Amino acid sequence: MFEAQEINAEHKDLIHDVAYDFYGQRMATCSSDQYVKVWDQNAEGKWILTSSWKAHSGSVWKVTWAHPEFGQVLATCSFDRTAAVWEEVVGETPGPSERGIRHWVRKTNLVDSRTSVTDVKFGPKSQGLQLATCSAEGIVRIYEAPDVMNLTQWTLQHEVPCKLPCSCISWNPSLSKNHPQMLAVGSDDANPINGGKVFIYEYSENSRRWIKLETLNSVLDPVHDIAFAPNLGRSFHILAVATKDVRIFNITPDNSDPSGVTKLDVQTVAQFDDHGCTVWRVCWNVIGTVLASSGDDGTVRMFKMNYVNSWKSVAIMKGDGSLAPNDGSKNLSNALTSISQTARYIKLGSIITPKEREASWH
Amino acid sequence: METDINTILIPSKLCNRAGVSLAWKPCNDLGIFAYERKHSGAQDKPSQYYPTSEASVFHVRQDVILFRPILRKLINESNGTFLNLQELLARKSTNTQEEMLNFSRQYRSIIRACLESLQEDIARSKSEADKDELQNYITIFYSIECIWHLCEILFIDSTPGNVVLPHLLEWVRFHFPKYERNAAEMLCENQEELEMKPEYWPTIIGLMMQGRVRIARGLLKQHSAADTRAFLLVDQCLKAMPQFDVYSGLSASEFHLQWQHWVMDIQSKIDAKSFASHKNLELLMKIVVKDELAWSEIKKHFETWYELLPAWLFYAEPSVKSYELGTFAKYCIRQMGLENKLKHLDTVLLAAMEYDLLEVIKEIQKMSENGWFATHLANLLYHSGQLTVLEKDVDNFSAKALQEFLIVDYGTMLMGHKSLWQVGLSYLDHCSESGIHIIELLLPRVPVDNEYKAQKIIREAVKRELHHIAQFVCKVQGMKCVKRGRLGSALTWALKSQDSTLVSLLANRFLKDYAANGKLRNTDLLFNLGPTMLSSDRLIFLGKYYEFHKLYQDRQFQEAGKLLIKLLESKIIPKYFWYILLLETIPLLESEDIIFSSNDTYMIINFMEENQFDERIKDKLDVLRLATARNLSRAVLYESELN
Repeated sequence: MFEAQEINAEHKDLIHDVAYDFYGQRMATCSSDQYVKVWDQNAEGKWILTSSWKAHSGSVWKVTWAHPEFGQVLATCSFDRTAAVWEEVVGETPGPSERGIRHWVRKTNLVDSRTSVTDVKFGPKSQGLQLATCSAEGIVRIYEAPDVMNLTQWTLQHEVPCKLPCSCISWNPSLSKNHPQMLAVGSDDANPINGGKVFIYEYSENSRRWIKLETLNSVLDPVHDIAFAPNLGRSFHILAVATKDVRIFNITPDNSDPSGVTKLDVQTVAQFDDHGCTVWRVCWNVIGTVLASSGDDGTVRMFKMNYVNSWKSVAIMKGDGSLAPNDGSKNLSNALTSISQTARYIKLGSIITPKEREASWH
Repeated sequence: METDINTILIPSKLCNRAGVSLAWKPCNDLGIFAYERKHSGAQDKPSQYYPTSEASVFHVRQDVILFRPILRKLINESNGTFLNLQELLARKSTNTQEEMLNFSRQYRSIIRACLESLQEDIARSKSEADKDELQNYITIFYSIECIWHLCEILFIDSTPGNVVLPHLLEWVRFHFPKYERNAAEMLCENQEELEMKPEYWPTIIGLMMQGRVRIARGLLKQHSAADTRAFLLVDQCLKAMPQFDVYSGLSASEFHLQWQHWVMDIQSKIDAKSFASHKNLELLMKIVVKDELAWSEIKKHFETWYELLPAWLFYAEPSVKSYELGTFAKYCIRQMGLENKLKHLDTVLLAAMEYDLLEVIKEIQKMSENGWFATHLANLLYHSGQLTVLEKDVDNFSAKALQEFLIVDYGTMLMGHKSLWQVGLSYLDHCSESGIHIIELLLPRVPVDNEYKAQKIIREAVKRELHHIAQFVCKVQGMKCVKRGRLGSALTWALKSQDSTLVSLLANRFLKDYAANGKLRNTDLLFNLGPTMLSSDRLIFLGKYYEFHKLYQDRQFQEAGKLLIKLLESKIIPKYFWYILLLETIPLLESEDIIFSSNDTYMIINFMEENQFDERIKDKLDVLRLATARNLSRAVLYESELN
């Protein structure tokens, strides 16, 4: 059985992105209404809105948390051509909660892009505090905060031109210090003549710049999202791509070339057209064993690798208007009106009797 | 394919109309929200749903029945057995069948104990909903017990010569205990005319079906007509029934011959109408000789095909070999007319009898106990060598990978629970391939509710040599303390985290605090810094400065003076702090004993003159000049006397 807790995010328009902190105890949401909101889970499991602010002067596309080692830090990017870094500041005077009055302060505004900034992601923490953005004009920018105690100082380290409008970016989260840093960038350019829409870059310590290692020429359709899986000590990296279908690639680096240039062996290991249409999002669970995707068909689909190393579809989720609770009970899920109430989960209906066919996606 | 997959419905009109997107919520949950993709080059305008009051996020999670408090004992005890098994295997390379059997029985007794406590709870529970829920768990765990027991017989406790019937009879007696229970009750009562009880004959037939011939005979002797010729004859026949025993030295064909003789003898007695006087006795004897009509008459006694199977085998194929079971199982299913009505439990049992282990494991993963069963059974079967033999038949199949795959899922699920995460860790420890990497991802995500839990996480990290995780937890704890204004605890955590930036930051806070209000905090901590002081220059300064304070308080002015000079000479004075050091010299310059030598005094004078235009010492400059001049004169006189 599955169950769900509804949190009315109080945005006036559709939510573009939801990000959870490292522990899954805080949630940040962003929307076309130009607001960013931060929610905290209390001891009873209820989600309380703790901050809400107008973050940009355009739609906020993405929101993402920095590693908690750097404190409570968020980054956002927007149609207004900027990306911003926010830090939560605890006031000196004790507030209603034990942590005092808190608010989010804009630490920096990154204004280098001349067009909409479509994605923003913090780099792996082993490299300090780094931030990658990509934009509709087709430029990936890497910023760095040299002093992690002072987040007002960010330097633009690299500008990497991709030639095509960029829609999404993903850092390779490999925990190994032996791997050079790697980034994958996707483009939602619609023209197949412009070639592959996924680019893989690696940081070269020798030349101190980002080098394009590979263009995935098998992906000619627009790419809307891209995600590296956690590495788990494998010799290869796994990359999921949301395009007209869900693709999973195994990418094996070969560093044996004496010139020091890494070569990549790229293999398509799965291709799912289950959505039957454009795929919007691809997202790995914490340990990279389950991939979830969403698409134009209005469903979330989950894929899992089985023990003979082949990927299989394991579950589907979709919105159902007929089951929506009436307005009376909706008020119950409003975090502000019922502060003392504990978390309420509702059992979810499903189409196949769950007892016989329980899909496990843990 | 899609018919095989669960479609979960999110109760939201907006999700239904717009579409959905998602984010994983650590560790195992999903956040789902209404969403519409915009092209990177598209105009920025409100969506067609603006303004909406329905922009909700749905946190979807699996309802894990194993997290119910009533099943906590099952989790913990099976964890103990699991760990003992892995430990035994680590100690020695070979493992005997007997040991594996022992572990299998331990697991089964844990399931049995769980079923018993569920039964007790159901008796206690008041609400219908609770009863239904508990009944549901009982059904699940009863199936598990039944399957596990059969798998134990077929895969772990294999007897020589593939003889399987005695075990199968035991299995069916265990899971359909009512005949033996009835018989025991009736024999205990020891009353006359037992045959008047409605369950008398069904019990005798049931006992005969489970191969309990002696007890059946015992019951027959209690019949009021037990002394009549027909009864005596039946007793005589049953007493003569040949028993197949692999240890008797009798070959299968010799046994077969004996059995044939015995059946023919009874058949001739039936033909001679020896039992015709008594309908039930005749039925009994006809069953023994496999009379088709008689068997179809007693079919109603069987609840399931797998209850029929051992009974049929007992009379029709007493020397059945284990590898023939599948064929006979299908025969019994046909006999019961269940070909198209097999339930999940039936499918699994049939797969086991057909020795299709992969199918068994695939099917038991669909049971609703969140992988407990599949994980533990596969691990045991793997270590008994039963899974490895399949590798040569199935392409790409790795037995080790299969069982680790299950352990990863089970361990990860437990890691997501606030008090079972350590149990989860102990499973992930036994996934050689990816276990440590998964722990590396999950352990730092265990929410730290309090310092005690932080210590626990750190211990687990250090145990696995994941020192960077231990340091990370310390650092996060340190940052939390900073935010709550608890600088002492913050410094303790920061020192443990070996993060010199954080340590310096905190040492600065201590010193600035002192500069502002003249009080040093957490002096106990500073006193006991020891070698940890070396983790940052700023902390060394703080530590040494505190040492100076302590000496001064203890009136060891000579020592204090020496230390102060050392500090002034050092290159580690923070910019905001030098003037305080300078002011500290005044009382020592003015003390009765000479503390600073002429050289020391010159040093102080130089230092003072270098900074004479600084605002912070401007009004103390005269005092300082006077004090240094006086001390210099005293020191020079004293030093010249010495020479």
